[in-house]
Order: sequence, then C-alpha cells, then structure tokens
Amino acid sequence: MAFEPKILGIACNWCTYTGADLAGTTRLLYPQNLRVVRVMCSSRINPSFIFRAFQLGADGVFVGGCHPGDCHYNTGNLYARRRLAVTKKILEFAGLEPGRFRVEWISASEGNKFAEVVQEFTAQIKNLGPQTKLKIQK
Amino acid sequence: MLKKTAINKISELAAVLMEKGTLIAPVKEVSGHNFAQILDPQKVDLDFYNTIMSPKSAFFPHKEDFINYKVGKPISEAEPVVLNLKPMFLFGVRPCDVKSFQIMDIHFNAAGIIDPYWRQRREATTIFGYAFDLSKSVDSADFYNTLGIYAADPDGSDIFMVKKDNELLLKGITLQGKKLLSELTTIENGKAADKKYFEEYIKKGRDYKTRFMCLDQETITKKLEDIFHNTDFWTRVSSACLSCGVCTFVCPTCYCFDICDDTQFGRGTRRRVWDACMFTDFTLEASGHNPRTQVYQRLRQKINHKYSYHVRKYGVISCVGCGRCTRYCPVSIDIYSIIEEAIKT
Amino acid sequence: MADFKKIEENLKKEAKRLLEAGEVTVVLAYSKGFDEKHPMPYAAKSVADIKNIVFNEYCNHNMARYLVRYPQGTKIAVAVKAADSRAVIQLIQEEKVKRENLVLLGIPVYGMKNSKTGEVIDSKTTSGLCNPVLYDILLGAEVHGQKIVSPYEVLAEYEAMDKDARWEFWKNQLDKCIRCYACRKACPMCYCDPCFIDQSKPRWADKAPQSPGNMMYHLTRFHHLAGRCIDCGECSRACPVDIPLYLFHKKVAKECEEMFGQAAGMKLEDKPVLVDFRVEDSDKILE
Repeated sequence: MAFEPKILGIACNWCTYTGADLAGTTRLLYPQNLRVVRVMCSSRINPSFIFRAFQLGADGVFVGGCHPGDCHYNTGNLYARRRLAVTKKILEFAGLEPGRFRVEWISASEGNKFAEVVQEFTAQIKNLGPQTKLKIQK
Repeated sequence: MLKKTAINKISELAAVLMEKGTLIAPVKEVSGHNFAQILDPQKVDLDFYNTIMSPKSAFFPHKEDFINYKVGKPISEAEPVVLNLKPMFLFGVRPCDVKSFQIMDIHFNAAGIIDPYWRQRREATTIFGYAFDLSKSVDSADFYNTLGIYAADPDGSDIFMVKKDNELLLKGITLQGKKLLSELTTIENGKAADKKYFEEYIKKGRDYKTRFMCLDQETITKKLEDIFHNTDFWTRVSSACLSCGVCTFVCPTCYCFDICDDTQFGRGTRRRVWDACMFTDFTLEASGHNPRTQVYQRLRQKINHKYSYHVRKYGVISCVGCGRCTRYCPVSIDIYSIIEEAIKT
Repeated sequence: MADFKKIEENLKKEAKRLLEAGEVTVVLAYSKGFDEKHPMPYAAKSVADIKNIVFNEYCNHNMARYLVRYPQGTKIAVAVKAADSRAVIQLIQEEKVKRENLVLLGIPVYGMKNSKTGEVIDSKTTSGLCNPVLYDILLGAEVHGQKIVSPYEVLAEYEAMDKDARWEFWKNQLDKCIRCYACRKACPMCYCDPCFIDQSKPRWADKAPQSPGNMMYHLTRFHHLAGRCIDCGECSRACPVDIPLYLFHKKVAKECEEMFGQAAGMKLEDKPVLVDFRVEDSDKILE
C-alpha cells in the first residue's frame, strides 16, 4: 500500500482555520492526510506540541497563522514567528529532516492558498517517507 | 579453590560465562566505566577504578516494567511481565558495592514485603567481587573504611578476584561460587604461590586507607536526632546543594522508586522507575501540599535516612562509603564532611 | 594563567568590607571542597565565614544560579566570571533579580579547568570571554591579548555532519541520560517551579530514562533556553554521564544571534529575544 502520511496541522482560529473552512466551502480538493487542530492564536502553540506530535507518530507538522500585521491579537504571530523559527532550527540540529515542519501565513480569504499549501506539503512528506526518528517505537 | 587467568584473556572467561547465562560486567564508555550486559566478550574491561553508576541496577533496574495493559479492559487481561532469568554473573564488583547488596536485601528480600523481581535476580546471580588495585592511589572521595569495609574484602562475594600483575586470581568464597569455579574448566588452577599472594593481598587490603573517622552508629544516630531542628546547620551544609538527583542515582544503597503508568493509544505499561528524595516533586502530595519544599529539608532527609532512621529501624547505616555521591556531585557536596561536621556540632 | 591567589585575596577583602559595612547580607563565592580540585559554591553570611573563601582554576560553578534562591530584596554580593555576569544580566532582564540589590564582584579570568577531566574549558565549553560583562568591583586586572576564539567554533564539526549522522549522535548521547536533572539544576536560567518535566497535567514525558522521554526533556529544555543560554557550560560539567549539552545550547544561541541580532545577557536594557519581536523580522527565518 502506498505511504499515506499523517500530518498534524495546527491552525489559528481567526485566519488559517477560517481559510481552511473557505477551502471546504468552495469545494477545493486537498489531501486528507492533514488533521487540523484549532488554536486561538499561533502564539498559543507550545513547541512541545510539535515535539510531542512527532513522537506520537506525525510524519509532518504544519502550523498556520495570520499574516504578520494581521493578527487578531495584534502581535501574537510576531512572537510565534520567532519561537517557531527556533523550533525549526532545533529540529534541524537534532537531525530531523527540515522539510517535516512548515509554517505558513494563510488569511481567512485564502482558501486557495490553504489547499495549495496542503497539497504541496503532503507531496513533500510523501517524498520524505515515514518519520521514524522521533516516533516512539513500540 | 583458586584459579587464575591472564588479564588479556579475560574475554575468553567472559565468553564461557556468556554461554552459561547473562554476564554483567564493567565496560568502558565515553565518560567512564559502567556495568552493562555483555554481548561482545571483548568489551569486558577490568581497567577501572570504580563504575559511575553503582551495580545496584543489575538487581534493581532504573526502569522495571511490571504489567502491560489495555485501556478499558479488565485488570485480569493485563499481562504481567515475566522475568525468565538465565543464570546471571555480576562480574568485577568492588568490595564496597558488594556490601551494598546486603543492605538492599533488607528492603527487598527480608523486611516486610519481599520484592519478587529483586529476589529472583539476586538468587540467579553469582557475584564476582573484585579487590581494588592496591598499587594505585585511593580516590579522595572514598571513605568505605569508615563503614568497616576494606579494599580487598571478600565478604558477600561468591567468587572473589584479585589482580596479580597480569593475572587475575579467582577464589570461590561461597558454595555457589566454588561450584561455579570448578565448572570453569578452561581456566587453569592456581599454584601455591598464588594462594599465598591471594591471602596476603586480602590482608594488605586492610592497610589500604581511605578517609576514615571513628563512626559509632549509636553516637551518629543520636547526634543527628539532636540536631534535626538545627536549621542553621542544615542550611549551611546545603547552601551549595542544587537538589538534583545525581547522588541518589549513583548511590548503591538508595532504593526509592516511583510507580508510573505510561499509556499511549490505549495501551500502556505500569513500571517502577527510580526516584530521588532530592527532587522537588518527591514529597508532593495529591492535595498539592509539599512537606519538603526547601533544599535543606531534602538534604537533611537524605543524610538522616542513611545515618539515622535506617540505623534505628534496621540496625545498620545505609551507606557503604563508595564515594560516588561526592565524586559526581556537580557542586562537590561531601556526605563524609557533613557527618564529620554533624558530630562536632 | 590568571593570578588566582591575587583574585582570592581580593575576593576575601571585598567580601569582608561588604559584610562589615552591612552592604550585603550574603556573599556568594567559593569554598574548599573535599580536596583542592573540588571547590564548592559557598554562601558567606558573616565575617567569620570569610576565611573559608577560596578561588582557584576549578571554581567553575556559576554562582548566579543561587541568586533566585534568596527572597526578593536580599542584598547579595556575587562573584562573577565572564559567563556568570551574563547570567546575572539575563536574570535582571527577566526580572528575577534587581540590579540595585546586587553587588557584582567581577573576576577576569582564563585558564579555568574542568575538575573531572582537568582540561581547560575556555571557549570550548564556555562563552570564550575573559572579562565580566558587568561588574561593580573588579577583583583582578582585566585580561587582554588572549587569542580570541569564537565560542561557536566547536560547532563546525557538527554542522558539517549529515542530518542522519547528527541524529545518531544526539540519540546516542541523549540515550545515556539518567534523568537526574543535574543539568537543569546547575543552570542559572532554569528557575521554573515546577519545571515542565515535573508536571503531571499534562505529563509531557515518561519518567523513565529511555529514549522518548529523554528526547522530549532535552529538546524542550534546549528550546526553553533559546536566546537565554549564556553559555557557561555548567549543564555539561554537572552531567554525571558527560552528555555534551553545551553543543546544542551553543547552536541554538548561535542561531538566535544570527536571526535576531542579539546575544543573551550582554546588555541590561535588552529584552530576551523570544519575549520580544520586531515587525521587520523576516519570514526567511522560517524557511
């Protein structure tokens, strides 16, 4: 059977999640590998969520937030940008494939972008194959 | 019965023991030596002073799985972890560490509830004690003399080993040890000169001096009881303490543990994991109350447990003076100096 | 090598003066341990304690670690080497201590040694600075003319590694961890109570010393120290199994410096990089 990756998507309530809704209501097609969790803001994401997701078997993690300057809470995503950049560097230095973690700014009106990003990211993860490094071995 | 083998042929002896069962012996790691299960006989390395971690993990592993269970299923369906032990050989244990097993036996094999895991492992194991190298200088952290243990003390070992130049002399001490030694046909018998050397080595071991103070159990116990409320004293001796778990984890006689459930995706394991009285959450109660929030309280507990409560309850000091806690303490807190100071207080 | 005897004399002199004048209630310095090679962190609280103070090449401990242990408002004098002074600055930035309650006894020094291995720790496992960044009283002549080596130079070898080799390296190193938590306890920046790893709701990682829990603990700790680690190397020296944690901390510090243009604990008026942002931060850092 072809490899179907498990991808965790963490989306902010105000932009990316609404963007995902829009993608749905406009009947855009995107892979079903993404499991979306809604958070109130991208800065709510504790980096441990991402480490934990990889440990519990995620092949990729995608984080979506409002465009910088657009944050519902004015500055949340600006903090998140710095924090998630560090997360990415840490995962990379630990030896995880850099392509497994992705952050995108997707606004509520960008249903198209959401679908495109998910398609692209899923293809990329499929290419990388299953994530075995951080995953807890049974 | 005395036998001998060349030190550079130790791997041959190891290979024989591996055929008979599980061999646990010191191996060289990046940071120093440690006991490990031997899979490659070449790895056995007797060129060490003492291991970083104590050999207690051979009987009382850092993590011990008890049962595997499924969430939502009755407890009767949980599977207990069965040990299925082969004979075990614990090779190259220093005399002070051998003594620690007798103290640990009190908790796991004698008083109150018997721990089946400890007992099964202990019964399956033949202990090869190994005298300290008397030609080398003693580590300044050690103080086993204070606890009445000597550098070449065969007491507690099944087989005791002594280094003679490039050879290793092995002597059976207990019945179990003698029987095993007689089965080891590949190694040669010792000569009369070797026997003499062995006996003299044991005697000489008494002159190999570590730090020493005259420690009377009753006096120290009483003293620690008297100064329990002397907060000034305890604050002073603990002012450097970081409250990490190094001392407890490397200690051969610390036996506190925590029972943890590790559940994922509906399956889980209930296991025992070492715990340390120096951790903040060690005494944290379900209500949120923590009776030992201060570092000095935790250090006081640790020292009192070893040198006071343990004596009152079981009649022996729960310390063998191996010096590990002092050697590996990130801030060089020395339990020996604290006891010395306590007596003077 | 620096003049350790001179520093020790000055340390005693200043400690005596400060305690006598009642300017401080405690002086954080070093005392003799069980042997010469193992000095201990020491809190001198009275003039009588001063005779115990020592200073030699093994006094690596970062005394800033003990600052948060005293109630807010306690007047404290603290002996600081270069990295330690950065820790103090960082703690002031994070409002854990107040500048006006501290007297910093600066120690310009090089040639400090690891008491376990005896090797010199300059720049390899510590920040490579010789002179304290911030001090009130300097206890020796400022050090000049030392060869300047970037503290990040040791990273080159690991950065050049293939990602799989690097993963193998870290997995092997972190698998050694016995979870004694000496690293976090020795760290001047680790003052959380409770630490995330001690929390039971949520339980972030298993308590057993095995791969997944170790990985979770260390990766998260590296993250929590991002932009805050002042590169004193105490975590690695405290480790009983010698995990080179300093390498990872250095790497994260280097990345933070490159991305946000600010090293930890260098200026009192800075804000820690992860509780700060700039609108003009580039999205490139996420690529």
